[in-house]
Amino acid sequence: MRDPKTGERGAAASTAPRPSLLRRTGRALAPLPWLAPSLALIATVVLWPVIEMVRTSLQKISSSGVTLGYRGGGNYTDLFGEDDLVPVVLRTLLWVAGVVVITMVLSLALGQLLNARFPGRRVVRWAVIVPWAASVLMTALIWKWMLDNYSGLVNRVLLDLHVIDEPVNWLAHPGQAMLWMMWVAVFVSLPFTSFVILAGLQTIPADVYEAARVDGAGSVRTYFAITLPLLRPAVLIASIINVINVFNSFPIIWAMTGGGPGSKTDTTTTFMYKLAFYDQNVGESGAMAVVNFALILVMVLLYLRAARWREEVR
Amino acid sequence: MKRHLMGVVAAGLTVALGVSGCGKGSSSGGDSDGKTIKFVAAIYDDNTKPYWDALIKDFQAKNSGYKVNLEMVDWTQMDAKVKTYVQTKQVPDVLNYNAFSDFARDGLIYKADEVLSPGTLGDFTPTFVQQAQYNGAQYGLPFISSARLLFYNKALFKKAGISDPPATWDEVRADAEKIKKAGATGYGLPLGPEESQAEFYSWAMNNGGGWVDASGKWAINQQANVDTLAFLKDLNKSGLTQPNPETTDRKTVFNQFAQGKIGMAIGGPFTKAGFIDPVNKELDFGVAPLPSKSGTEHNTLGVMDVLAAFKKDGGKNKEAVKKFLDFFYQKENTSKFLKTEGFLPVTKSAGDALSADPYMKQFVDALPTSKFAPTSNPAWSAVAGAVKQDLGSAAAGEDPKKVLDKIQKTAEKAG
Repeated sequence: MRDPKTGERGAAASTAPRPSLLRRTGRALAPLPWLAPSLALIATVVLWPVIEMVRTSLQKISSSGVTLGYRGGGNYTDLFGEDDLVPVVLRTLLWVAGVVVITMVLSLALGQLLNARFPGRRVVRWAVIVPWAASVLMTALIWKWMLDNYSGLVNRVLLDLHVIDEPVNWLAHPGQAMLWMMWVAVFVSLPFTSFVILAGLQTIPADVYEAARVDGAGSVRTYFAITLPLLRPAVLIASIINVINVFNSFPIIWAMTGGGPGSKTDTTTTFMYKLAFYDQNVGESGAMAVVNFALILVMVLLYLRAARWREEVR
Repeated sequence: MKRHLMGVVAAGLTVALGVSGCGKGSSSGGDSDGKTIKFVAAIYDDNTKPYWDALIKDFQAKNSGYKVNLEMVDWTQMDAKVKTYVQTKQVPDVLNYNAFSDFARDGLIYKADEVLSPGTLGDFTPTFVQQAQYNGAQYGLPFISSARLLFYNKALFKKAGISDPPATWDEVRADAEKIKKAGATGYGLPLGPEESQAEFYSWAMNNGGGWVDASGKWAINQQANVDTLAFLKDLNKSGLTQPNPETTDRKTVFNQFAQGKIGMAIGGPFTKAGFIDPVNKELDFGVAPLPSKSGTEHNTLGVMDVLAAFKKDGGKNKEAVKKFLDFFYQKENTSKFLKTEGFLPVTKSAGDALSADPYMKQFVDALPTSKFAPTSNPAWSAVAGAVKQDLGSAAAGEDPKKVLDKIQKTAEKAG
């Protein structure tokens, strides 16, 4: 506290300007002790790995794992020279779009169902959580076995129903394999997504619906004019997290087809792994990782822009 | 007050995180005395760990002051683990692996004579010593070996009216047709990403083909290989193999073989204990030389795993590593490992012990004529990886020449 009558501050300022400067910088730095931990945390767990990833992509790394110095853009030239790259990237985009759109549509329905009051609702909610609790790798393996050519459950059932005449090796044909893997990916993404939607639905106050009813809106009109717009933040969050998850999804594809035959069911994530551990080319794999990272960033930014994120969440 | 405390704790934590994250130790601590070594062993099956545990206990009892820290790694994670060890400079002192030449090229491992006594060194079978060389010096320490032969189902052969196992490719084709008529699959062709390089080479070497030409240059797209792949593709297209060889692994083939659904398939000494017995102990099968195109020569595929000893702390670990390796290569210790796991010997002294078993004898006898993949070329791992990924797609429909061209390109890129 300064005493206004003595004018101590002015006197101090005229005789010795330095303390004031110190004080000012001190004041500017004052929040630092509070900010520093989180800045340091972000730097170590977010920024540092990204820098390391970019660094790897610029290095020449021997097949044994020894770093042999910088290689400039060589790894990127190699990567863009791969015949498989373009099909893999296009397939990845298809995989992400397909899985996320289907997941969102099903989750909107499922969220609505879980939000409704009906006997046994609690049991149904638990049932929806189960696939979430199971390990993704396990789920993928179980589906791989169910689709087995010789003793799989799916072939057995279809044979007994006379839908097919002889067993189909589902996972050996790229098109069919992609569809089955997308189904598994939807299956494991549903619980999280529908619970985000459910949480969104529960934040919508009941009086909004009452007002709509008074105004004579039908249920379809109510859903599209009231429920969906109010669900927007929830849908946004759920779809962004799903896009990133599905883009980077490794266990499903690796367990079910290993990206094969050839690289016909690879996405960028499995392709990256194969570059490092099949082709023994860690540097080129690093370049793929950087491209993958950039792709996700661009996709998310485009999506946010399309969804007019700024107006929505403030 | 509490808040301040939390801030301090958080700051401390982040600093700790940062330090531990950035700190790349030059070696794992605690072994500066040079008497404690780290051994990374591959898991072959459930018996592997108990074997090493017992061996190490025995070693430590007989060499007081020395200590071996064992780490077991599954084969599916081995490649990733090994790369991490090297990149973070945390290499083990001794590694059990299937490749060594790129470590030798990068100056990471000892030469064999630096870490083995002359007695042990002289006991290796010459074929394997040759396979363990890089630039004329032996770096790899042969560990176990294996050979591939043709397995055939005697009951199915009888049912189809075939008296002898096939010796030529034409006979393979004719026999497969007869077996198909008898209601089973003629030949089981595993060209899936598990081990297609071994299956393919088993056929190619018996057509005069191979991975490299006489001068040691990559020759993956040579005519003999294209013909071989075309032959296998034709077998599949004619319905004489199981469907979709490009996604089939050995385990699936031998599962079907053991159930009597497949007439012929290529397997190794471990096939009986590992794949057939668990499914059907009663199966009446025979083992024959690999068929060749002409029927005159019958080459066998040989496979070898190695131990590699890494240089560390300027050679401080050399003495302990030598003690441990000489202990393992004692006759009774190696032959016990081979018996436990169903592999073939790499040392002369352990060789005779296995020949008493008539099943194993066929493979031991086949070893001297066996041909190996070019493991002494540092680019081999990359080539094998490319083969695993892509070769099968040729049997399914792609043009064999195009697929082999692509693998050749990968090989040349890798060096």
